[in-house]
Amino acid sequence: MKNSDRLLALYHFWVAFAVFLPAVVLGAWQMLMRSPLPAPLDDTNAYYASVTLHGTAMAYVVTTFFAMGLGYAVIETSLGRPVRGGVAAWIGFVVCLVGTVMAVVTVLSGRASVLYTFYPPLLASPWYYFGAFLLIGGSMIWVVLMIYNMSAWKRDNPGQPVPLVMFAITATAILWAWAASGVLIELLFVLIPQALGITTEIDAGLGRTLFTVTLHAIVYFWLMPAYIAFYTLVPQAAGGRLYSDTFGRLTFISFIVFSLPVGLHHIFGDPEIGAGFKFLQSFLTFFVVLPTLLTVFSLCASLEIAGRVRGGRGLLGWIWALPWQEPMVLAVALSLVMLGLGGFGGLINMSYAMNNMIHNTSWVTAHFHLIWGGAVLIMYFAIAYEMWPRITNKPLRSKALARWQLWLWFVGMLVVTIPWHVTGLMGMPRRVAAFDYSDPFVAPMGPWVIISVIGGFILLVSAILLITILVSSQLGERKLSEPLRYALAVNPPRTVPASLNGFALWNCIVLVLMVLAYGYPLGQFLFLKSSVPAYDVTRQAVSTEGK
Amino acid sequence: MRQLGSLRSDNPWPIIAWGAAAAVIVVAGALGFGFLDRFQQGGPTLSVWNAICRGLGITADIGPASEPQPPLRTPTRIAWTGATHDRIAAGNPKRGELVAANCTACHGNQGISQAGIYPTLAGMDAAVIYKQLDDFRSGHRSWGAMSAIGQALSLEDSADVAAYFARQSGGLPATTGDRMPASGRSLREADPAQRLVFAGDPRHSVPPCSACHGPGGYKLGTPALQGQQVNYIEEQLVAFAQGLRQNDISEQMRIIARGLTPDDMHAVAVFYGVPTGVPRAGGLALR
Repeated sequence: MKNSDRLLALYHFWVAFAVFLPAVVLGAWQMLMRSPLPAPLDDTNAYYASVTLHGTAMAYVVTTFFAMGLGYAVIETSLGRPVRGGVAAWIGFVVCLVGTVMAVVTVLSGRASVLYTFYPPLLASPWYYFGAFLLIGGSMIWVVLMIYNMSAWKRDNPGQPVPLVMFAITATAILWAWAASGVLIELLFVLIPQALGITTEIDAGLGRTLFTVTLHAIVYFWLMPAYIAFYTLVPQAAGGRLYSDTFGRLTFISFIVFSLPVGLHHIFGDPEIGAGFKFLQSFLTFFVVLPTLLTVFSLCASLEIAGRVRGGRGLLGWIWALPWQEPMVLAVALSLVMLGLGGFGGLINMSYAMNNMIHNTSWVTAHFHLIWGGAVLIMYFAIAYEMWPRITNKPLRSKALARWQLWLWFVGMLVVTIPWHVTGLMGMPRRVAAFDYSDPFVAPMGPWVIISVIGGFILLVSAILLITILVSSQLGERKLSEPLRYALAVNPPRTVPASLNGFALWNCIVLVLMVLAYGYPLGQFLFLKSSVPAYDVTRQAVSTEGK
Repeated sequence: MRQLGSLRSDNPWPIIAWGAAAAVIVVAGALGFGFLDRFQQGGPTLSVWNAICRGLGITADIGPASEPQPPLRTPTRIAWTGATHDRIAAGNPKRGELVAANCTACHGNQGISQAGIYPTLAGMDAAVIYKQLDDFRSGHRSWGAMSAIGQALSLEDSADVAAYFARQSGGLPATTGDRMPASGRSLREADPAQRLVFAGDPRHSVPPCSACHGPGGYKLGTPALQGQQVNYIEEQLVAFAQGLRQNDISEQMRIIARGLTPDDMHAVAVFYGVPTGVPRAGGLALR
């Protein structure tokens, strides 16, 4: 790897993990805070500031920086040439970092406890919105660079199939551009004008609807690096081959198409949106099952190939023949368990009618912690363990410690989220700082919440272990490691149809679907008179005098 | 070099993709806008046009939300105006005695009740009797035969009978017009009845009973309670607490009664009232 590209990837990864650890600490404290157990700094205002920080850090900072770092590493390792536009990449890094610092400082000052989904008509200090805008907007530089690098390679290698991993990470970038459009428009035209006092009223319905454009697609933006690992890193680490290259391309394309016109399933409870659009988007949501099923099939097939190559026999004997000592192989197994459990919960969330049972309860929190915090993040860890030796030229200190870390994360996440699912069904609302556990309705939830607190601290131990492994490896002695190789397909593609080698067709389809699914739900706010005065987070009505 | 045109026959994906997307949208649109949203639990099946409107979110209640207006309800028809005072003051006790012949069967001779469920009327302030009769007449208070009796009496009859009962002695003590006596009793008073009557219970928004009901000062239209039937007082407190009786003009008795426990109600009733059948003294001394 070229030195400058190595630093580029490393800096991005380090920002992600440096933010990750304190965010886990906050998460553990929040769990203590809302449990029947005594918590240090027992202050409900601090709780909401903490939730905002935890959500902003995990949802925007960790994921965006990780994906950007992975993107630059993939360009270098899969295309076999340096990143084009390195200066722009560094500018993007700095912009995102400045945005992160602005947002974090504002939340810490207590002026932005609006949670990471912003919750208009609650209003934060404009500095928080500027920070979020710089962070998300800055990552658009990365999006442009990914598309630019892929198309430059295609120009230089006409007729050649783009390597699957490069195709996938570019799909991630394109998905992110589509996804971020919602929140960026909300920030620019709804929140920032209000926070600066340019407008006197805020249309909370419009803000929420715009945010749903982001809200579901962002989840798949988080998920994509994990799927990239499923297709391109896991078969290699297991010592086998990828079952199907085409499956991979179809998967990443389906994610672009089906993760975008579906966000309204997050606001089934909102009165502004008509039932028809809610149903339409609920219906479309079910199609995201397709790429996941394709992936699970392809992944299992790839692992079976590896297991049989390694001498596994019989119907299931190949499973035991897999190299379980490899963090990547272990991580994928743990990830699939959590993906399965979380996925079934997700089917409830996205179903128009069943959603009512669990809307805004801790079930939802449990669902996305299991999917993102569990299935996805554990793959981020495995990717980091795979990438670190290649980026730093220093081998991983201890694979055993890495396996411990993965196991702890897996166990911790299950101990956290299974009780949350139960309390969600019991009716415990999410995003509430303190509960009266002497209330007969709330009292039976107490023991479950206490169990989940234990899980929270297991996760904290695992997060500390992760940072310890990465730091100690990086401080270790330099040793040349073999270059990163992505899994070769059983039948490596010689040519692929243009539509599976680029995104023009799929962007057109997404555009049409988005206009059909969101045109009216967003357009109606032009004639719905639904603006209300905004409230800043100190719960004072924002004065409109003299503005 | 092979040109990879997007509509070339070696690339079937545009047709597959557009076809699949169109099929999904058509099916989802037909289900969401034309079929499924026609039906709703407990409601009529909508026409296709109405279903499409509902699917779009255009329903009858769309538009800026207005505060729901509760139906106008007044606790009484009586307003304490000068005209009302004049009408009550013009009551003729002589004529009232004739009217009162209708009352004695339940309320006792000269309005001194002998049964716990009937209030003693002798010595009760005329304004109180007049108001309650009108509330019975207008349906703002209901109890047994009283609505029918109220409707049988004219306003003039009411004023006359009120004047008659107010002048009878041997029932409730005469209204003195004195201020509330300096009882010296405070919130730390151990006896709950004394505490409630003279200091109230601020934690439950209960002002002292004596502020309006005596002993000592009285408010216009508020009955004196001393010497009233114990059971009657307790029953009225329960009725206020449960919302069965709603003719207190500012809702004050409903609010207060809701702040009282059954024990509180009993204690207050015992404090003020005289048990049924106990011979009365000419007037009740302060306890």
